[in-house]
Amino acid sequence: MDTMTAIYVAMLLPLLAMAGNMAFSELKNVRDTFTLLCAMATFGCILIVLSNVGNGITEPVSAFTVFKGIDIAFNVEPLGLMFALIGSGLWILTHVYGVGYMRGNNESHHARFFACFCIAISSVIGIAFASNMFTLFLFYEILTVSTYPLVAHKGTPESIRGARTYLAILIGTSIALQLTAIIWTFVLTGTLDFTQGGILEGHVTGWIVPVLLGLYAFGIGKAALMPFHKWLPAAMVAPTPVSALLHAVAVVKAGVFTMLKVGIYIFGIDFLAQTNASEWLMWLAAYSIIAASVVAMFQDNLKKRLAYSTISQLSYITLGMALATSMGALGGGMHIAMHAMGKITLFMCAGAIYVKYHKTEISQMTGLGRAMPITFGAFLIGSLSIIGLPPLGGSWPKFLLMTASVDTGHLIIIGVLMLSSLLNVAYLLPVVGRAFFLPAPEGTPTKFAEAPLLCWLPPAITAIGCIVLFFYAGSIQTFLAPIVSVSP
Amino acid sequence: MIDIFPPFVIYIIAALIVPFIPAGRLRSTFMLVIPVVGAWMIWNTPTGLSAVVPFFGFDLTLMRVDKLATIFALVFSLAAFLANLYAWHLRDTMQQVAALLYAGSAIGAVFVGDLISLFFFWEGTAIASVFLIWARRTEGAFWTGMRYLIIQIGSGVILIAGVAMYYASTGSIGFEAMTLPMTSPITWGALEIGIWMIFLSFGIKCAFPLLHNWLQDAYPAATVTGTVVLSAFTTKLAVYALARGFAGTEILIYIGAIMTLFPIFYAVIENDLRRVLAYSLNNQLGFMVVGIGIGTELALNGTAAHAFAHILYKALLFMSVGAVLFRTGTAKGSELGGLYKTMPLTMIFCCVGAASISAFPLFSGFVTKSLIVSAASKEHYYIIWGILLFASAGVFHHSGIKIPYFAFFAHDSGKRPKEAPTHMLWAMGITAALCILVGVFPAPLYELLPYEVNYENYTTTHVITQLQLLMGSALAFTVLTVYKIYPPELKSVNLDFDWTYRRFLPAALRYISFLVSATFGMVTGAINAFAANMVHRLHHSHGPDGSRAASWPSGAMVLSIAALLGLALFVIFFS
Amino acid sequence: MAKKHDDNPENYPALGRWLMFLDDPKVIKRIVHGIYVICAVLFAMDFFYYKKTYVEIENYTGFYMIYGFIMCAALVICAKVMRVFLMRAETYYSPKDTESEMHPDHDLRKESVND
Repeated sequence: MDTMTAIYVAMLLPLLAMAGNMAFSELKNVRDTFTLLCAMATFGCILIVLSNVGNGITEPVSAFTVFKGIDIAFNVEPLGLMFALIGSGLWILTHVYGVGYMRGNNESHHARFFACFCIAISSVIGIAFASNMFTLFLFYEILTVSTYPLVAHKGTPESIRGARTYLAILIGTSIALQLTAIIWTFVLTGTLDFTQGGILEGHVTGWIVPVLLGLYAFGIGKAALMPFHKWLPAAMVAPTPVSALLHAVAVVKAGVFTMLKVGIYIFGIDFLAQTNASEWLMWLAAYSIIAASVVAMFQDNLKKRLAYSTISQLSYITLGMALATSMGALGGGMHIAMHAMGKITLFMCAGAIYVKYHKTEISQMTGLGRAMPITFGAFLIGSLSIIGLPPLGGSWPKFLLMTASVDTGHLIIIGVLMLSSLLNVAYLLPVVGRAFFLPAPEGTPTKFAEAPLLCWLPPAITAIGCIVLFFYAGSIQTFLAPIVSVSP
Repeated sequence: MIDIFPPFVIYIIAALIVPFIPAGRLRSTFMLVIPVVGAWMIWNTPTGLSAVVPFFGFDLTLMRVDKLATIFALVFSLAAFLANLYAWHLRDTMQQVAALLYAGSAIGAVFVGDLISLFFFWEGTAIASVFLIWARRTEGAFWTGMRYLIIQIGSGVILIAGVAMYYASTGSIGFEAMTLPMTSPITWGALEIGIWMIFLSFGIKCAFPLLHNWLQDAYPAATVTGTVVLSAFTTKLAVYALARGFAGTEILIYIGAIMTLFPIFYAVIENDLRRVLAYSLNNQLGFMVVGIGIGTELALNGTAAHAFAHILYKALLFMSVGAVLFRTGTAKGSELGGLYKTMPLTMIFCCVGAASISAFPLFSGFVTKSLIVSAASKEHYYIIWGILLFASAGVFHHSGIKIPYFAFFAHDSGKRPKEAPTHMLWAMGITAALCILVGVFPAPLYELLPYEVNYENYTTTHVITQLQLLMGSALAFTVLTVYKIYPPELKSVNLDFDWTYRRFLPAALRYISFLVSATFGMVTGAINAFAANMVHRLHHSHGPDGSRAASWPSGAMVLSIAALLGLALFVIFFS
Repeated sequence: MAKKHDDNPENYPALGRWLMFLDDPKVIKRIVHGIYVICAVLFAMDFFYYKKTYVEIENYTGFYMIYGFIMCAALVICAKVMRVFLMRAETYYSPKDTESEMHPDHDLRKESVND
């Protein structure tokens, strides 16, 4: 299969899965197996792209011309390819987990749930391979809209309210700010294509650069940069598979992925470095890292705590871009993969605890470790990866970001990264420590009684993935290297 | 690639296997075999070898075998063996796995030749060891574990940040001797700050003054067997790292001197005997740090030798107090006394440990500590020499006399515990025998030291002056006890520097957060009111029924929609 | 706590029974006197051998013993004074501190010879 076909097929397969969900909505085994097959096929397509292109960068191929200069077009480059691999690969696991979760929890409207999930995946692949800002924006909005019903899935007033905040902030920022920035960019340069080294250099100078960057940075609400972060904790009302794949991986990573794309291919790392336009963004990201971690410490609801942790971790990636060095951008790119693997583990564990014992608050989980050693063991590994400890994947991007901060002379950022690691310890490890080591209150099960297999196996696999990623970090770095070298 | 098999791998593989061996004699035997195999591997690895693995764009040196590394690795293996023997009765998989990973990380760390690998093992010891504290499974131990973990991981985080700065400035990650910059901090660049951070991270693990409280906090909180394991590795790893990276750094002499000094005051008034031992451990580390600071061959030999002897006698003391705790449920001086009648062997082993730490002639401390003290006088640090003498006398006072006296003699507590179980007696017996063996025949230990030893221990002068010093100390104890001046053991805690982060900082933070949230509430409240008012007025004048609605061109409509969207966003965000 | 009434030295290990002479106040007195004698002898030793010294102060007769005695007495008295300022109740930091809680039984094998 040639590369472009593979991309189209990868985008269409989730839609096929959606159709299958609708068609077989009453035959749950057929329906779920069919989706699983589609998910695997999607991942297969992305693998074909990988084997065809490697870490090269292909020429954009236009699928449809809206009007002159504005196309819906796709190309392959390492960052997008990595994002697509993560999204589609983790989809398989999340689907398996989702089946276990939805059945174990007796949730309703399975078909609608999985159908929306499929559209979201399809748009993620669109985002990953978009070759210009217009295409990316289009799929970005589809992703927002398609995930709205997932957040509101339970239909309770609380979830409706959460979903409203979710939609309002994401749509609001993207139209009011991001679209403005896109139009402005087009007016200035006459193109929206992602280009190595950026397109803005020579077209803008002075104060416009940081302002334009600001429109993008805040316009990409999915990156959850403070102060536009509230949608993420609000989205935690969704069923856990949604939180796991979408709000730890697909949606938020689409945000920071867009952020990196804008930084690397619209502005250009060198241009940002020359103009110092991103320095304020660096400080804001640093602030987000610390502030979100502090807030996380005071959340008793496990998913909310993880959500704030995500906000903090996403800012690492924004920070990597804002440092405006190739090392920083690489660190940010790598953190997409490392954080995805770690955070999805944590969310799936949170879901497994909910499915089995219906506990959502950390203070209720005291002493639960004896009953769920695998789940909490996976949670421990995920936590250590998020904190950035060896031998887990999360340790490398932090080292790269630290080195990048030294290179740019921002030693305070090193302090921020250090403090953040300690805050991560302070809010993640007590969850595990309480579960395993505090005396269990009356009525807590002490005999081994894990969540259903489909709920604990996927997080166990991703936890192992965190360890594996530690040893393959070098490969990821080599793989991503072309995105920051000026000549492709 | 690797042509030698790094010994830490054995421990990691073993840690993976242990959960699958049924808890019992088989598993306990397995736990004993591993350190033996590890030590055999270390013994047979010729010095000068190195193993380099390319990884993540770096050349990581997993093995750099020289005498300094080997002696630490060997004594770590020995300590792991003895601690596992002591814990023969243990049926807790979590603690066993943690102990293996902890020992493996420590052994891995002493062999690495680069700072990044050092960071891996550095954090490895931090994470593995906390489980030995948490395994007590009480609320107090949980919070102690959290504090311990944050400080230990913090040390690692400072290390990696320092390494990042060092690497970015020099392009090298080699773990070699570094020069601590002593110029004014204003002139420092990334390299200088980086080296200081590496130094600081070593200092945290080495329990430098004001960075020391994790030690006294954690060791009394761990399980009976966990404390024995804990006492061997973390701090001695830090001593090794300092000896490797900062030998001859003068400031260490003064840091070390303060370290030998202040813990003994606390040790005298501390009630929990395991905490007394933790303070005296801190004091013994001070001797080693002074040795590193002096940095001559004699002094470094002294540090390595003292670390070796120290691990053994400190383990022995923790084992004997642990055995008392194991049988009576308490290690507090105020609750104990008179146990010699029913635990005579434990008492004797405890006294051997006490004599060793006090450096009595024929016991291990005598032949190792004197190297450091002599080095201080030979290099003309007379005040330091005086402090070390005082500290030596003080050690005898609180560790040598106080521990055995309050546990086994003093007033009869009426407790009649059974003698420690056989495996604990064996563990203590072997350790005690080693302490005496090293004290009587120091030559084999001296063979292992990094430099050649030209030092005669058993001279008339040395033996007599040492005995005079110790007996002077004993006399003080006797007189003060006879005249009832000696402070009695009381149930209490004594404020130490940890007060700053257990009491002062939380209170300060609570106060600040109260101020911030109050201010924030006022500001957002005002903004909300303003925004709502604005929307209301705009609606009134520009809304569909407003007076101005008719006269607007449609182009302005688009702008106002965008503005409204932005405003709506604003309102939603803050509401 | 102690079960004094059924405390039977017959249950002690032989070594412990043999060591029971240490309970005798007369023996304790003898030990205290023994320490005084040993100190005196050690002090006197300074007159009978060639002392190889590096530091000036070492040459004073009985320096080590006097130094050890004075410094340790000072140490104890200082520490006693420190108690006035530093001593707090065991529950000072938290009612559930390792200081104030019991060591949990699962980690112990509490056995008494009289059981």
